[in-house]
Amino acid sequence: MSDARTGIRLSRRAALAGAAALVGSAALPAFADEKKVVVGTWGGDYARLLNKNIEAPFLQSKGIEVLQDIASDEPRRNKMIAEKRLPRGTTDVQGLSQLNVAQMVEVDVLEKLDYGKLANAKHILPQLRFDYAVPHIYSGLVVLYNPKLIDPAPSGIADLFEAKNAGKVGVIDIQYQWTLMAAALVGGGSMSNFEPGKAKLMELKARGVKIYPTNEALAQALKTEEIGLCVMWKARAVQWQNAGINVKTIAPKEGVPLYISLLAIPKNAPHKEEAYLYLDASLEPEAQVNFALDMGYNPVVDDAAPPAEVTARIGFNEEERSRLVNPDADYIVKNDAQLKDWWDKVFKS
Amino acid sequence: MAGGTALSDAALPLGRGPLEGVRERTSDGRPSLAAALAGPATVYVALALLLPIALLFRYGLNHFTPGNDLHWPLTLENYVRFFSDAYYVEVFLRTLRVAVVSTAACLVLGFPLAYVLARMQSGAKNFLIMLVVLPLFVGNAVRAAGWMTLFGSRGFVNAALIGGGLIDHPLVIMYTETAVLIGIIAVNLPFMVLTLQSVIEGIERAVEEAAQSLGAGPLATFRRVIWPLALPGTVAGTILTFILAMNAYATPVLLGGPKFQMMGPLIYGEFAQQSNWPFGAAISFILMSATIILTAAANLAAQRRYRR
Repeated sequence: MSDARTGIRLSRRAALAGAAALVGSAALPAFADEKKVVVGTWGGDYARLLNKNIEAPFLQSKGIEVLQDIASDEPRRNKMIAEKRLPRGTTDVQGLSQLNVAQMVEVDVLEKLDYGKLANAKHILPQLRFDYAVPHIYSGLVVLYNPKLIDPAPSGIADLFEAKNAGKVGVIDIQYQWTLMAAALVGGGSMSNFEPGKAKLMELKARGVKIYPTNEALAQALKTEEIGLCVMWKARAVQWQNAGINVKTIAPKEGVPLYISLLAIPKNAPHKEEAYLYLDASLEPEAQVNFALDMGYNPVVDDAAPPAEVTARIGFNEEERSRLVNPDADYIVKNDAQLKDWWDKVFKS
Repeated sequence: MAGGTALSDAALPLGRGPLEGVRERTSDGRPSLAAALAGPATVYVALALLLPIALLFRYGLNHFTPGNDLHWPLTLENYVRFFSDAYYVEVFLRTLRVAVVSTAACLVLGFPLAYVLARMQSGAKNFLIMLVVLPLFVGNAVRAAGWMTLFGSRGFVNAALIGGGLIDHPLVIMYTETAVLIGIIAVNLPFMVLTLQSVIEGIERAVEEAAQSLGAGPLATFRRVIWPLALPGTVAGTILTFILAMNAYATPVLLGGPKFQMMGPLIYGEFAQQSNWPFGAAISFILMSATIILTAAANLAAQRRYRR
């Protein structure tokens, strides 16, 4: 092959090699260590606030491209399991609850964190420190009530089981683990033994408990005063109060189970360096305070101080903090199948 | 039935179809045009459907481990678990019941509508067909959300009944089988109507007129002429809506609530929430097999009836 004007002769083999090189160079950016991080996260406000409070100010401003892989935690957990055998996964950071993290550790898909790469990690509250994920925000399971329907105010989870509140109590189907946990605290169980909670829930069933499919459906029932008493994370209660639903909360005397939302790195994350930057940015005091202001969840670091009136609304005082209990995630993961079986076949039947 | 014979397989003897000349190999031994045309679709179906189904089948014979790792030996424990547990059998039977009832309702409601549409000559016909198709432009979940606002204890239906003094306390409609049936019928009805309409359009009006001129009343014309001639389309529409109902997901979840379980949501729960892929795969196979067997049986029965 030759070009008559330039006289350059090009063999077919050289032309093919050149074309291959061109295709190869075009594909290079896809494999190069570009500044990019893919974050698996729940959608809605949480995804929007991740962008507003973490991604835009701390990563995108430094030229790091951030992509969100939005889905509830169930498909994202299964995607990680499905990608377990691949050398390169498709996400770099995953937002998970402490129960999700325990399950993912069990199936060996999460990176054991190198805390030396996290400058802000030294400020993490000691009881919220984990080997395989950094905490992002936390709240506690409280008793939520409508003061118009429930008077006097409840003092603990036991109030849900009192005869005078029959027909006013609601539970959420997808929160079966937390509902069993709360019932166990009343029935003589513990964070590592939910069995006594089953008998308590059967009492509740006999008294006409209403079961709602999602948090949002329960919020709607609170709004229409179909129910007036339930257990829920305090942060959600704050959001519902902000939405004009007439509810108050008390930190139950039996104990306040901690709900922690964390950020973890899959073992086969393709952009681990940026993933660590993301985790560290999530612990920045400014980001932590903004999440408290915007979403009603508490900071997980000791150097973030939301305004006192916000802390009073979303947080727990010293006496309440003494009742905070961390769920035994390993127990729940190991017993989840039988707990769900019981919930579906006995409690809901 | 004379009309039936004209449309039956006998009218197109096997081996005399339009691709007769290109069926095997051309004279120079190259693969035929027919094979070349069928090739891409076959490869696509094999890769995109049969391989995943084979993998699903393999997972259904696996013992569950948290990491869902494949291992030997193969086991039937997932199938045994399903059929030996009254809870799962009840979910299966409930799914079957909902699918049969909703399909029958679609047929009863859809046939007259399809007949009217098929026989219409005016310009309003296209407009009415568009009205039938219109619900398909809205996703199932959005449609179910609409039903939720109607069916709630303080929804439109209860508010209207209480406001009209017909009832004192709100009716419980949400989170019941009735709500699910209404939702599924609304989703599937357009599929039935469109299928039947195109088949009824293919039946000559003259055939009906001939029956009537021989003394057949409207009912006899329907029973002896229209119904048998429309049977292939009826079977197609019935199978289509039955399959859709058997595999319904969004409607049972949103309108059935936490206590109402059908096979679709059950499969999702096992795969996604419990990460129990082997059991989820086994349930998927049971649902798929039941759907295939029942639709094949219905098809066979209809064919026999058609040939009589």
